[in-house]
Amino acid sequence: MFQPKKPSTMNSHDRPMCVQGDSGLVLTTDPKPRLRWTVELHERFVDAVTQLGGPDKATPKTIMRVMGVKGLTLYHLKSHLQKFRLGKQPHKEFNDHSIKDASALDLQRNAASSSGMMARSMNEMQLEVQRRLHEQLEVQRHLQLRIEAQGKYMKSILEKACQTLASENMATGGYKGMGNQGVPDMGAMKDFGPLNFPPFQDLNICGGDQLDLQHMDRPSVDGFMPNSDNICYGKRRPSPYSSSGKSPLIWSDELRLQDLGTAPPCLGPQDDPFKTEQIQIAPPPIDRSTKIESISEIYEAKPLLSGDGIGEKKFEASPKLERPSPRGAPLQTERMNPVINTGSVTQGRNSPFGLSIANI
Amino acid sequence: MAMAIDSAFDVNFSSYSTTTTITTTTTEDDPACTWNDWGSPIVDWDSLSRERDEFQDLIESMMDDGTGLELARVGHETSNSISTDTMFADEETNGGDFKGLRLVHLLMAAAEALTGANKSRELARVILVRLKELVSPNDGTNMERLAAYFTDALQGLLEGSGGGHGKHLITNGPQHHRDEHHQTDMLAAFQLLQDMSPYVKFGHFTANQAILEAVTHDRRIHIVDYDIMEGIQWASLMQALVFRKEGPPTPHLRITALSRGSSGRRSIGTIQETGRRLVAFAASIGQPFSFHQCRLDSDETFRPSAIKLVRGEALVINCMLHLPHFSYRAPDSVASFLSGAKTLKPRLVTLVEEEVGPIGDGGFVGRFMDLLHHYSAVYDSLEAGFPMQGRARSLVERVFLGPRIAGSLARIYRTREEEDSCPCSEWLAAVGFKPDNISFANHCQAKLLLGLFNDGYRVEEFANNKLVLGWKSRRLLSASIWTSPDSDL
Repeated sequence: MFQPKKPSTMNSHDRPMCVQGDSGLVLTTDPKPRLRWTVELHERFVDAVTQLGGPDKATPKTIMRVMGVKGLTLYHLKSHLQKFRLGKQPHKEFNDHSIKDASALDLQRNAASSSGMMARSMNEMQLEVQRRLHEQLEVQRHLQLRIEAQGKYMKSILEKACQTLASENMATGGYKGMGNQGVPDMGAMKDFGPLNFPPFQDLNICGGDQLDLQHMDRPSVDGFMPNSDNICYGKRRPSPYSSSGKSPLIWSDELRLQDLGTAPPCLGPQDDPFKTEQIQIAPPPIDRSTKIESISEIYEAKPLLSGDGIGEKKFEASPKLERPSPRGAPLQTERMNPVINTGSVTQGRNSPFGLSIANI
Repeated sequence: MAMAIDSAFDVNFSSYSTTTTITTTTTEDDPACTWNDWGSPIVDWDSLSRERDEFQDLIESMMDDGTGLELARVGHETSNSISTDTMFADEETNGGDFKGLRLVHLLMAAAEALTGANKSRELARVILVRLKELVSPNDGTNMERLAAYFTDALQGLLEGSGGGHGKHLITNGPQHHRDEHHQTDMLAAFQLLQDMSPYVKFGHFTANQAILEAVTHDRRIHIVDYDIMEGIQWASLMQALVFRKEGPPTPHLRITALSRGSSGRRSIGTIQETGRRLVAFAASIGQPFSFHQCRLDSDETFRPSAIKLVRGEALVINCMLHLPHFSYRAPDSVASFLSGAKTLKPRLVTLVEEEVGPIGDGGFVGRFMDLLHHYSAVYDSLEAGFPMQGRARSLVERVFLGPRIAGSLARIYRTREEEDSCPCSEWLAAVGFKPDNISFANHCQAKLLLGLFNDGYRVEEFANNKLVLGWKSRRLLSASIWTSPDSDL
């Protein structure tokens, strides 16, 4: 973000002496005379900017023309317009890198730059800063909760889809051969040669040890992927496609997913509890038996990945969401699959929300 | 033609290559303007004096007839721009950047050939053949993969003659051939999309925050959702409602989802399924909830009377458009919905739509380049966050972005004579909705959200009622909130 750090010309500490020139402009009397943006001048500025359609549409040149104030140069307007754009609503300015100092800095800058406002006392500003900080922390907490809620919901979608696929697979009896995989859109791409890898067939999104064969709506595609039953979350399967033996899709440890913090985990591998860090997306060989692994893996990776620091904080922040869960894992992926070696997550917890896939 | 070429070179190529900084703003506008002025970087052509390169020869070799004039100019200028590239690029990346630029120019040339003054389809065909040799949708750099999709889209235009059939499924409805994607694909891609980029969350959370603020003191809330898809947006809203501190606790939430009679809904499931899911989720967190469906006619005109209203409830209209995984909705349909909604006097209208660059009079080529720029930014944003996960990104590109590119391109191509519909936000203002302020908390939340992703994302506030999410200097998605002029707030 653009953070001009130059000292404001209107630092409340040192008010330079001002004189009023003939043109009506107030200039300071320090060795380098600087323009003082009085309330009046600023109001004219705001008027001009509004006429021109807002601070984003207005340019220093046009503002200068509209204002028609003698002695006002482009430089004055440039910097003032910039400040105006950034700080026209001082409440909105926010620096997410360093909340504490930046907020204080921003507020100070904004208070100074929005010359329409009178300069505040330090006390007021401090109160303001504290209020802002508090609000920001609230927002942060809420954001975490909301992301988690969304993640939970996504999980339910994936689980249902997994069940659908699993049930279909049971019905169709497995492998349909790889080949063209019946994905019609490939036709469009055939000029580019066959895809090197089949799509996420190996994304194992089936949950639970036992699958419910309850019949769900079929997916609306006829190009049924042959290997959906074998979608394996890439645990320990070599890919038959990849000549190098490595999975075509590799989620390295340096995944930015870790930086995603509270974002729900997707396919992030787990460093400790999960042996491999690979998500295979090649279809397994025909003879392989289905190893159903939980989609919860996908989600679990996230809160654990993000490190216990963030993870724990996040968990504490959402006590109510996770009523019975001692650890308070917000994402109810927990006990989806006992198969998963989720060392850091207690197993066997029931989902407090009745989404107990494992019991299906 | 000059216009098209100029606008093309105004495109911020720095988004394509990682080592060049072609674009500089040397205008008198202050640096904060760069966000707005992405289209006007200055390149000092004169200072460069490298010899011509093979691109020029390539173009010349492709020209069989007299259409070479414009292309020769393209070639000349591209040689300059390429040498600009090479001036900054390392030795290793020299080829990569060069190739990226070459692809852009080839694409532009193809676009021009398709619709330019000299409609030389044969030339376009030749260029596309050449392009196809150079690109693949799965390998290579961002630019190469992007070019692959654009090439294919152009190919579709060429063969379908702007119509929409042919062996390519990309032409008319992204909906049509999106349905062909296997559900697993779509799920995986969607999950990936959500995790790798903030687009979806940004749209959802900004709208939700605005809704929460607007209904703080209400006991009953009714949301009419234009395109509910899987209903993901409402999970976090429900969560927030359950735990809200101010106002009546746990207000009743009612959601009416518009459903379209015509199939071709590209989503994981049907609206009924979404409803069931939402009901289950609400039950799981203790949120009083009911779900309704409102069917649109086949022509997608919205009849407000079809919405059941309950007295005392706060009505919110939610309109998510253009999120990466969404289907295309015709502007007429959206307009019909929003006008109809206005008669219902909603408390709040939330709108999320994509941002397009200034249309100007660049014609098809101008819009083509704008589209290229847009998706280049999207690709870059995904890569920047997940440089190692090329396959995952390829999947997202294949499932969502590619079809959108094709669909958008086809639409641009078909409607190039007429003015494309203006952004919905402008339309809302014109129709009489009043902008409503984006709160500090909302803006704050957006920044925090972006902070979870890569640094290159920016959120900017516009006109008080809009937050715009962008990647570097390219605006991509905007979320705005509105109220009825005479709603009782």
